[in-house]
Amino acid sequence: MNFFKIIFFLGLPAMFVFSCKKDEPKPPVDPDHPDLVYDPTPYQLAAPAYFPLLEMPADNPMTEEGILLGRMLFYDPILSGDSTLSCAGCHKQEYAFSDENQFSTGIDGLMGDRQAMPVMNIAWVSDLFWDGRAEGVEAQALGPVENPIEMHETWPNAMEKLKRHPEYPSLFFYAFGTWDITKEHAAKAIAQFERTLISADTRFDKKFYLLDPNPFLLTDEEIEGHFIFNTEKGDCFHCHGGSLLTDNLFHNNGLDANSADEGLGKVTGKTTDRGKFKTPSLRNIALTGPYMHDGRFATLEEVVDFYSDSLQFSETIDPLMKNVHQGGIRLTAQEKSNLIAFLHTFTDTAFVHRKEFSNPF
Amino acid sequence: MKTFKIMAVAMFALSMFAFLGCDDEKQPGFVTVYLDHDVAGEALEFDNIKYTSKAGHPFSVARLKYYVSNVTLLEADGTAFEIKDVHYRDAAEASTRSFSATNVPSGKYEKISFIYGLDETVNVDGGLPNTQTNINMEWPIPGDQGYHYMKLEGKYDSLGMGVIKNFNLHTGATMGNQNYIKISLPLSAFSVDGNTWGIYLEMDINEWLENPNTWDFEEFGPMIMMNQNAQEVLKANGSTVFKIDKVEKE
Ligand code: HEC
Ligand code: HEC
Repeated sequence: MNFFKIIFFLGLPAMFVFSCKKDEPKPPVDPDHPDLVYDPTPYQLAAPAYFPLLEMPADNPMTEEGILLGRMLFYDPILSGDSTLSCAGCHKQEYAFSDENQFSTGIDGLMGDRQAMPVMNIAWVSDLFWDGRAEGVEAQALGPVENPIEMHETWPNAMEKLKRHPEYPSLFFYAFGTWDITKEHAAKAIAQFERTLISADTRFDKKFYLLDPNPFLLTDEEIEGHFIFNTEKGDCFHCHGGSLLTDNLFHNNGLDANSADEGLGKVTGKTTDRGKFKTPSLRNIALTGPYMHDGRFATLEEVVDFYSDSLQFSETIDPLMKNVHQGGIRLTAQEKSNLIAFLHTFTDTAFVHRKEFSNPF
Repeated sequence: MKTFKIMAVAMFALSMFAFLGCDDEKQPGFVTVYLDHDVAGEALEFDNIKYTSKAGHPFSVARLKYYVSNVTLLEADGTAFEIKDVHYRDAAEASTRSFSATNVPSGKYEKISFIYGLDETVNVDGGLPNTQTNINMEWPIPGDQGYHYMKLEGKYDSLGMGVIKNFNLHTGATMGNQNYIKISLPLSAFSVDGNTWGIYLEMDINEWLENPNTWDFEEFGPMIMMNQNAQEVLKANGSTVFKIDKVEKE
């Protein structure tokens, strides 16, 4: 082929491209799949106005297509070594995307030593895991697949399985405009789906943020519990306050005199961080037991007994555990049950039943 | 070549005129305010029971978070320039150490004044932007409103039984009292005129515990958010916690 012919053949399609540019830019079309068009629909996260201002990563804009792909990957055991366990195997919607077991079991029958955390309102979490070791939702999503006690797969293997799958390649194309399936794209899609898991439809929200005038919205016991929670009597609000019911900071709440799990201390290497863990959000708390990083408490009764009477002093116990010198906040049986009643107003029944969050298969 | 040299000299002279001309018009200046902390002159080190309060308790500091607001420079004739409306300081976060104004009008300023905490116009529910940081400073006690002005927290040796206890100096509006503190500090030889200044404010944490009132951790206990007597004591002590460490051209 001579030089002019090359120019001609290159020039012909180029002319089309240029003439196209004159009007609306057309989405790229893949020559091997001319019937598929990359034209994702932007998705606006619907967050309550009273939630903290949201910082979204600039390199992972949410789209309908990305969320759909993420939802499928979240529920599909294909990402695990023997194709039996998905994210949802440990993060179950009925328990606000947490695990009802003290320790979750991975595909090899192995268990970790941390309780599976609920995945909700995750768009507002920047340091993930109990000890904050993962920075960002995308970074976290890469972890479980290769974790030997969880899904125990390699990403290259998982990618191969996705590439051979009849549907995933086109779903990746719709979401990211490329046939080159990467683990980064998989993590981005999962993160997009996780960010949609917003829980804010509770009696607590109606009463205290939406100012619903219905006088019967909360019982007298629940209102009493609210006073305990939001005054120094119970003093829960200093860590579990605000609309997210967490400060998203790290504290030692006095579980142990000598914490076996170093928590944040392991991550920062500081002895002054020993035994500190991320304050869990108390949203849906009635659904997310067992409680604490090691799932040591089966019920909310046990949790409240602990805060009332069994705090353990250590050098790193948080100053906000104001009454550690007397064992805790010392509640009466009635006060304890009022506080627990209030904790139940954080339950979002719609969240655990929403179709858009459920298994798509 | 010669003409070129002449031109260069002429250009230089012209630019000098231009420069002086600007100077005559008085240029706005750039002022940065720094917030630093010590305990009786010792550098602040967290989580170490190495300081002693006037009441005799060895103590440590775990956290120091607070707001200053309406930070203002004042000239002798009362002309005022606000450097910053609200600033949040976390002594553990270097990024919160300072704030700046780039357009400070030229003039001789005699005082820097500010509010420790928030005044009643800002200290209402939702008065500050809904950031996680501001939400964490909320004061949700039913009947009260707004934000904590300060969280100064740590541990102390209660003496006697050798028991280590927690202390929490939380200040804010309670029981209908606003409790914010107006602070004003004199500046000397501080003229803004197209130049860049740093004003270094230093808080001596011990001042909260001794001047004019001796604060005994045992006396008020760790829970003072609804205790107006305790708030009054801290309000009185708070007016002397800051001094100007230095004012420097940068
Ligand atoms: C074998 C059970 C298991 C599987 C499978 C699993 N997780 Fe988890 N997940 C956990 C446990 C346990 C933790 C807490 C671990 C820790 O803090 O060290 C956790 C923590 C998290 C968190 C942190 C939440 C927070 O608030 O910080 C997110 C997000 C998460 N998982 C998402 C996922 C995703 C996405 C997948 C699938 C790619 C997945 N998980 C698969 C057990 C599991
Ligand atoms: C000093 C901060 C702080 C205060 C105050 C505090 N908590 Fe916690 N809370 C935490 C931290 C940190 C954890 C996780 C601890 C761990 O697992 O090691 C936690 C865990 C919990 C859990 C278990 C959550 C889960 O998902 O497993 C519940 C329930 C709870 N707190 C309720 C309360 C109540 C009720 C109060 C008031 C009586 C309270 N907390 C006061 C910091 C605090």
